[in-house]
Amino acid sequence: MNAFVAWLESTIVSRTIVQYRWIWPLCEIVHFIGLTLVVGIAGFFDLRLMGFMKRVPVSAARDLMPLAIAGFLLNLMTGAVFFIGTPHQYVGNVAWWAKMLCLLLAGLNAMFFETTVGARTMNLGAGDDTPRLAKMVGALSLASWLGVLYWGRMLPYIGNAF
Amino acid sequence: MPDIPTWLQGTAVAVWTRESPSVWAYPTVLMLHTVGLGVLVGANAVIDFRLLGFAPRLPIPSLAPLYRFMWAGFAVNATTGAMLFASDATTKARQPVFYVKLTLIVASLVVTAMIRRTIERGRASGDGDLSLRPGRRLAALSLVLWAGAITAGRLMAYL
Repeated sequence: MNAFVAWLESTIVSRTIVQYRWIWPLCEIVHFIGLTLVVGIAGFFDLRLMGFMKRVPVSAARDLMPLAIAGFLLNLMTGAVFFIGTPHQYVGNVAWWAKMLCLLLAGLNAMFFETTVGARTMNLGAGDDTPRLAKMVGALSLASWLGVLYWGRMLPYIGNAF
Repeated sequence: MPDIPTWLQGTAVAVWTRESPSVWAYPTVLMLHTVGLGVLVGANAVIDFRLLGFAPRLPIPSLAPLYRFMWAGFAVNATTGAMLFASDATTKARQPVFYVKLTLIVASLVVTAMIRRTIERGRASGDGDLSLRPGRRLAALSLVLWAGAITAGRLMAYL
């Protein structure tokens, strides 16, 4: 792992990221805007799956999901900039690994949803209740994204990065 | 004339936020400020993007419960924001970007209230599902102002 960190930090991309002092704050700004899209749009869909806001048709709520995916891609890219810039801050950081675990959970949960109850919930209109499994998927999704946010914010305090 | 930032910084809650080694002090307050931001601006984004023409099958009146989430997010962030400001008041009171952030938040909230009025008027006249032109312009303005508030907030850590 140390060899990997040393190699990554010697690359031109990594050195460029740390060299220009505006890159980091700029990526932080984008990372927070992306976070808002994920929490807001995916959270909205999760809450509907959980049975809140029943006047919202499930399929219509889902139509906004490309925006959540766009927010996630922004954060994947800016997150990669942070990692490539200073990998030593993350690889030994327990908060970072917890964040990655929450991300993995969110991803597996979404895949589970798509391959199981996903199709059945798509025909649900305004006023319809969601199956219990969909409620559980929604709750787990919301919890894992909040976990991503929690551990991300705790990187400097629990994991001692920065 | 008492020095308000100095007094604020000496209050018990400011000292605790700043100096307690507990993870429940500064780190948790800062984390909650980020969660509140996600809820407040995220709920706004759902309505703004809908008004801009995304997800046209989504009935606008059905989004009304999102205003409760916005209030909750705002309450969390007003509280945690006051604590974060108090914990470092003498420095933050001298940061121009802090006043830019406050101004942008006030402007965002005004636009949010105007959007809500536009939506409710649309519902009253029976065409709640129409993305009215003023609604569109307000929605674009709302997204820009909230993104600006986030930008100014982030820059407080760097400027």
